[in-house]
Amino acid sequence: MKLERIILENFRQYFDRQRLDFARDNQRRVTVIHGVNGAGKTSLFLAINWCLYGRNVENVKVIDNVGELISKEASNRATIGERVRTVVELTFLHNGERYLVRRALQSTKQKDGTVSLDLSEDFTMMRTRANGQAERISNPIGTMNAILPVNVREYFLFDGEKIDNFAKPEAAAQVKQAIYLVLKLEILDRARRHLESAAQDYRKELKQTSGGELRNLIEQEEKTRAEREKAENRKVELEQESESARRKVAEIDQRLRETQNAKFLQQQRDLIERDLKQRRTELDSLLSQIRELATGAYFIIAQPAVDYAIQILDGKRERGEIPSSIRQQFVQDLIERMYCICGRPFTEGSSEHQHLLSLLISSLPSSLENDVLDTSAALRTFSDHAEKHRTDLDAAMRRRIELVDLIKELEGKLDDVGRQLKGSPLEEISRLERQREDFQADMHSYTLEIGSLTERIKQLTRVIADLMKSIDKAQKNERHGRLLGIKLDLAQRAADAIREMYQIFADDMRTRIEAKTKEIFKQLIWKDSHFQDIQLGPDFNLEVIDRYELPARPELSAGERQVLSLSFITAMSRISEEEAPLVMDTPFGRLSSQHRNNITEHLPNLTDQLILFVTDEELRDQARMNLQPYIGAEYRLNFDPRTSCTEIAEVSND
Amino acid sequence: MIDNAASRDTVAIDEAVHEIYKQLTEGNDIASVPFRTMKDVFMWAVSLGCQQGKRRPLSGKKVTIFRWAQFSPQIDIPLLKALSIADSGNVNVLLSQDEILTIAEEYANAGIYELRTNVLDQYGQPLWNLVSNLSTQ
Repeated sequence: MKLERIILENFRQYFDRQRLDFARDNQRRVTVIHGVNGAGKTSLFLAINWCLYGRNVENVKVIDNVGELISKEASNRATIGERVRTVVELTFLHNGERYLVRRALQSTKQKDGTVSLDLSEDFTMMRTRANGQAERISNPIGTMNAILPVNVREYFLFDGEKIDNFAKPEAAAQVKQAIYLVLKLEILDRARRHLESAAQDYRKELKQTSGGELRNLIEQEEKTRAEREKAENRKVELEQESESARRKVAEIDQRLRETQNAKFLQQQRDLIERDLKQRRTELDSLLSQIRELATGAYFIIAQPAVDYAIQILDGKRERGEIPSSIRQQFVQDLIERMYCICGRPFTEGSSEHQHLLSLLISSLPSSLENDVLDTSAALRTFSDHAEKHRTDLDAAMRRRIELVDLIKELEGKLDDVGRQLKGSPLEEISRLERQREDFQADMHSYTLEIGSLTERIKQLTRVIADLMKSIDKAQKNERHGRLLGIKLDLAQRAADAIREMYQIFADDMRTRIEAKTKEIFKQLIWKDSHFQDIQLGPDFNLEVIDRYELPARPELSAGERQVLSLSFITAMSRISEEEAPLVMDTPFGRLSSQHRNNITEHLPNLTDQLILFVTDEELRDQARMNLQPYIGAEYRLNFDPRTSCTEIAEVSND
Repeated sequence: MIDNAASRDTVAIDEAVHEIYKQLTEGNDIASVPFRTMKDVFMWAVSLGCQQGKRRPLSGKKVTIFRWAQFSPQIDIPLLKALSIADSGNVNVLLSQDEILTIAEEYANAGIYELRTNVLDQYGQPLWNLVSNLSTQ
């Protein structure tokens, strides 16, 4: 996962609509966001968390005790009855695909000056395809969890104030928990949770009774139909707006092509965009090809049974039963006529008669014989098919990796062109590029909403169909069978068994993290001759061993503890092989300049994307110089005490 | 040759596992919903059930998900026949399409849980889980 852009609208002190693009080049992968205390660094950090996960997911609190999310300025300016929208939208890239995630709140200004929420939070996740169309992801929470699980997020998006938590003597449980989550040991836990929730469902079902709710159902149908109509109207509106933005981008492109100093860059962009489109289309069709190969590969799994069947069929051949030398019909005719081929008659029970009967039994009906021969021939080709299938799938998977890398590279180049145009000393070019960026961001938003509405309309249509069925069935609600009790018991016992397995995986991961933490800690700490070793014991205590081979953690300074924690976190992210950004809110506040310098020197190389929220004091002198070559985007949060609002301003590095 | 006239030609599953079939086939996102057809899910489930040596007779309410004609004559039908021969040890099983289907349905009825565990209950997207399931075979 690499963050591309965030758009905030009326979120806390971010009044109106504001945008920030993150650096995500391979070279320039660091985004620095400056702000004095209270300027809004934590609110921006909060916005990322809230957008991706909401206030809580699966009982994990993401946002707690932070007060109102709706901009006070927006609430204040609204007239009574007017609606205020609070939206955070994040665009990110993951495995070569672009995702748009949006979370929105809608509230209405009341007579007493307060605002009241109209609906619960609306969360939408979209994925843009090669043809530029966005499709809504039907299971956004599950998909987000697969990309960066909510429990894992705090190890990638973390609060500088809490950074030294892992290195505190009482932190063993937290260290253990982090390893379980980041290194996917949670899979087992999830399986257990699934089973437990199945057990819970059975319990509920046992208790449930049915009731006649016909009126309620009819009311629901009416409401749903009205909602669908509203969504359809909004979709038409948005399609028009999107088309208008697309035309404006095309106009700007044309103007840039005609402007002497921008011509070359715009032509370059045209070429890259064309190439990118082709690659994305190729990736899409490759994905379909991989799907076809993978879903059709079941016969590979069944090969042992196929081999055994071939063995049985071969046995029949070897015994001469297939193909039988004498046709069954011919033998039957001889028995009916009671004459031998040579014309000699025979009697029932004679040795000739006996022999013919045994031939009849051992031979197969000709129809079955053909089937056996055909099946046998078809099965013999299976192993060749399997070989080819595997080779094709391997090749497609390798190509996919190549394409994902290529797409990333092209996107980087595209960003470069945009940056160069934006940074042009000619005001006209720079202004056009900024406008272009704005229109594109609008288009992304429109596409997101259109896709979301399309899915919503489909969903509402399904709901209406279901409601109509339910209305028909309303009186037939009946109780379920008694099997539920048995199912409940089974699900619960399986969940208990998985709980036991959970522990076994921990050890291997613990050893690997120990080695990696040690390696990183030695890079980051300046007294590396004094600290000799890092240990992560079976009790999950993170321990530093000094040159006298004694545990040194109690003596660690706050700064050293922070470095130890940071080493542990980056070690986990490396071992997990997750591509995820490291977002750090005020990370260097408590560090001495020496630690700060070491960290800023090595940190950019320990992560794929680094986003730092810092005060000016945190990042200056050598630390600033260390980061400089990696900084791809820099912003300042300007807080206006008169309005209590913050404006995001880009800091030019040119 | 199978006596089609007297045989059923619909493939059925337990209603209890219908949801898994739907989860694996309904949606536009290839990586999250890898299967295009219920037939392919069924064939994967049959193969996994057979690989694990697990069969589970259908119990409770049945749901018909597709017809015999959807099986491919090059791979699916020979494969189902092979599994029946391997299961019964006798080629005469080929005389009954009913019997071949019953064996397949029972393997699928056990294998579908295996498929769910391997593909849906794992960390990551189902398509890649399916691919990695193959690479471990």
